Amino acid sequence: MKAVIYHAFSHKEAKDHDVQELGTQRAEAFVRAFLKQSIPHMSQQDCESHLQRKAVILEYFTRLKPKPRPKKKSKGLSAKQRRELRLFDIKPEQQRYSLFLPLHELWKQYIRDLCNGLKPDTQPQMIQAKLLKADLHGAVISVTKSKCPSYVGVTGILLQETKHVFKIITKEDHLKVIPKQNCVFTIEIDDFISYIYGSKFQLRASERSAKKFKAKGTIDL
Amino acid sequence: MAGQVKDREAFQRLNFLYQAAHCVLSQNPENQALARFYCHTEKTIAKRLVLRQDPSVKRTLCRDCSSLLIPGLTCTQRQRRRKGQRWTVQTCLTCQRSQRFLNDPKHLLWGDRPEAQLENQADFKPSEPLPNIADLSKENVQTQALNTTE
Repeated sequence: MKAVIYHAFSHKEAKDHDVQELGTQRAEAFVRAFLKQSIPHMSQQDCESHLQRKAVILEYFTRLKPKPRPKKKSKGLSAKQRRELRLFDIKPEQQRYSLFLPLHELWKQYIRDLCNGLKPDTQPQMIQAKLLKADLHGAVISVTKSKCPSYVGVTGILLQETKHVFKIITKEDHLKVIPKQNCVFTIEIDDFISYIYGSKFQLRASERSAKKFKAKGTIDL
Repeated sequence: MAGQVKDREAFQRLNFLYQAAHCVLSQNPENQALARFYCHTEKTIAKRLVLRQDPSVKRTLCRDCSSLLIPGLTCTQRQRRRKGQRWTVQTCLTCQRSQRFLNDPKHLLWGDRPEAQLENQADFKPSEPLPNIADLSKENVQTQALNTTE
């Protein structure tokens, strides 16, 4: 106990601090009496064992962090979500023919570049082959034949091409939605007139670039 | 002059669609739907024909809704600081998707590095001449013959 709680003053320390020097036995008796008075419910043995207990210093405890879930790679919007959000729908106030004339000029420039200048001696087959893979957005397109007579004669700038439909804006600022099925369309580029048979053209604009067209004999509306 | 490019027509088409989207937006900034449609078509064609577009083009298209990202019009652009680095944060105003790009003036894309160019790449020359296969086969035959005689 002496070693745990206290140690006796040496003769020199007692002299320096002007402390009355007690005998070892008296000092120990005093400490025991003091502890018994302070902690009456504890026995002497328990008290000594309690005082002799050494604190165990634990190492720094790192809390295990929950593993971060791998971020899901966003795959973009689905076709259904696009329809619901109306991402590709042209608002009525933007349906003005004059707004899309620069687009038509850009398209003409693109076609000339694609067909190497559209010279008069250019083979029509080559132009037709290029037009099959070309983009038609911005072209001036007109309906020449159709099973539905009300579609015939509609002319305008092609704004959107989907799998089954051409969306054309006319000079009267009307957005016409014309199905490809059972219609023949005409595209005129610098005196070259090309016919598009809609029934054979029922592909998405993006799919047409990879599609190989086969020459088939029968063409029917 | 550059050599003949494979899928030249397809690249011309992608170029046209990208320009068309810009043209439509410059005429009427409200007409974002049509620009989005053209950009979506462009992305689909590139994916279908497996064509690699330049990163500068891809960064101007939203990866979710295919909008043409023009700061102040279809997206917001902010400079952020994090971990002692500056980042450009681009947020699409249609779908709220954000993209972060590190502002590092020293950074070079792989395509812009000189070693990426084919003519700058050193031809592979092995340090030691490769052994003749015919000689090796002869040696093997001799060792087998020795083993059988023993």
